Amino acid sequence: MTVTAIPAPILGKRGEKSRTKEVRAAPTLAMRRLALSVRNPRALVLPVMNPVLFALVIAPALANTVAGPAQQTTYMTFLALATMGLLIPLNSLFFGIGVVVDRQQGAMRELLVAPIRRSSIVLGNMMAAIAITSLQTVVLIGLSVARGADYVTSTHVLWFVGATLVYTVLMYSVAEVLATRLPTAEAYTAAIPVVAIVPFFFAGSLFPITALPGWLSAIAKALPLTHALALFRYGLTPSSGVRALHNIWGMTNVTAMAVLSAAVIAAYALLAFVAAVRLFTKAGTS
Amino acid sequence: MSLFAGPVRPLTRELNVTNNEEKINDRITDPHDPGRMTGAAAAVAAEELAKIYPGDIHAVKGISFAVEAGEAFGLLGPNGAGKTTTIGMLNTTVKPSSGRALLAGRDVTRDPIGARSVSSVVFQDAVVDRPLTGRQNLELHLKLWGVDTSVGRRRLAELTGTVGISDILDRPVATYSGGQRRRTEIVRALLSGPEVLFLDEPTVGLDTRSRHDLFDVIGTLRERTGVTIIITTHYLDEAERLCDRLAIIQSGTIVACDSPARLLASIGPEVLELRTDDAAKAAAVLRANGVEPDDVVVIGQTLTASLRAINGARALELLEDGNVPARSATARHPNLDDVYLRLTGGPILSPADRPE
Repeated sequence: MTVTAIPAPILGKRGEKSRTKEVRAAPTLAMRRLALSVRNPRALVLPVMNPVLFALVIAPALANTVAGPAQQTTYMTFLALATMGLLIPLNSLFFGIGVVVDRQQGAMRELLVAPIRRSSIVLGNMMAAIAITSLQTVVLIGLSVARGADYVTSTHVLWFVGATLVYTVLMYSVAEVLATRLPTAEAYTAAIPVVAIVPFFFAGSLFPITALPGWLSAIAKALPLTHALALFRYGLTPSSGVRALHNIWGMTNVTAMAVLSAAVIAAYALLAFVAAVRLFTKAGTS
Repeated sequence: MSLFAGPVRPLTRELNVTNNEEKINDRITDPHDPGRMTGAAAAVAAEELAKIYPGDIHAVKGISFAVEAGEAFGLLGPNGAGKTTTIGMLNTTVKPSSGRALLAGRDVTRDPIGARSVSSVVFQDAVVDRPLTGRQNLELHLKLWGVDTSVGRRRLAELTGTVGISDILDRPVATYSGGQRRRTEIVRALLSGPEVLFLDEPTVGLDTRSRHDLFDVIGTLRERTGVTIIITTHYLDEAERLCDRLAIIQSGTIVACDSPARLLASIGPEVLELRTDDAAKAAAVLRANGVEPDDVVVIGQTLTASLRAINGARALELLEDGNVPARSATARHPNLDDVYLRLTGGPILSPADRPE
């Protein structure tokens, strides 16, 4: 006996429709994630609490304590900008909890049987993380300016914007990797301080990396956050940024150093993104 | 029979069954019958589909079946039989170790996105986003499946009206009852106009009333959409009520495949169920007096015998004469439990697992 399978539909039409679906999938999933975040305001507020408190309370207090009167604003600005090194990792990693929750509560299964690539799911979540991080960055920078931080407005700000974007891609990819590998929300939450906060102390956040012992300074130069912070500073406080870049690269060509640091973050981001997609895809099909 | 290409054997010959089981199978599936699939389009076709998990765990052992467009096909078996793995392979979340499967002509391994585009799944557990409203959940599904906006709106209105959830659509799903959530999940799965709908244990966790309501909902939606349905269940009443055909799975193998009526007919018109102090001896007495070995099943102190060779009164007489009198005896119509017992030698459910 012969069984006739239903013939595939006309390829062109189906192919076009599939491509359209793929293009729309990531924004659709980003909107889903944002809708879920809006229903859970704590998820939006908590990640920004620490950086805001640091920028508004600790940075001025530290500046007042350790810097002379002429340098208080400079040091407060230095510290306020450093809080970006907390905001992006914390927000990205808190955002990644959503992936664990999706898996535990079942919503992930619906996404895995949707006619879209697995990478679209990662990309959709990442787009939402970038949107929220951008919003929080504007709030943080705005509040720190209101508190007295002194940023320079110039075309250099594009370095700040670019570094923020790429570093968010990196940290959200790390969040996806952790969310895929760690079985429970509890295990994931326990990993957040290690990943998000520990590098903050070695990456030139509170003091230049040249103040570290030699071996620790070498490690700091390998941390993506060190390069990101140098570019954040180069974007909004160029003179401080040039010093930070010089502390890493020891060169005199500022643009070349900025490009190199951007390349380092981009390389980390690319590796982490590829790992996130591969692990997620593998986990989605047992 | 080949579901794909080249010569193959009839489905029943591919089943991993013993000689006796094969005899039963021959009776109930009639391999000489060219089958439902002749000249018809197979909405779902699986050939020698197998899954081996790490640790050499053979969850599914090369099963083959074909489901006609518009048919409701049940995979019936106890927990761990391989039902969910089979559904997982068909919906592309589990990668087959060997074998092939097509959904509406699309190979689940070679074209997983194509296979997913023509199918939908209602999972055993809720998969909707509880913080979001029903409407938000349904619209998300429409967008992910790329349904045209106007078509999607029309389907959403029709389906939610049919299952009676229109008035709760703008409430967060977290406020829904279990039955309302299940209806929402079924509507969600049908919104994309799938050619194949998988229902994985659709009534697990629902109370009796909600279960029966859901049977009606599924029946109505099936009539209206003509969708091909594959249901996994370990509830026999559910299988009997919803399915045109059933495949009974045990230990990763299909041990029988036919319509509920024909499966029941294979048992005979009536069964005798009795409790005795020595059920094994009672079984030996009946077998010695012309009852087919396969027609007698013993579970603990309960013996169930198909009354084809002898009637109930004669069976009781024989037991009295054999000095194994029955403590209680009931003659009744056979049910799928009897079919399952006969084919597998064990009950499908422990009493604690049974629905209310």
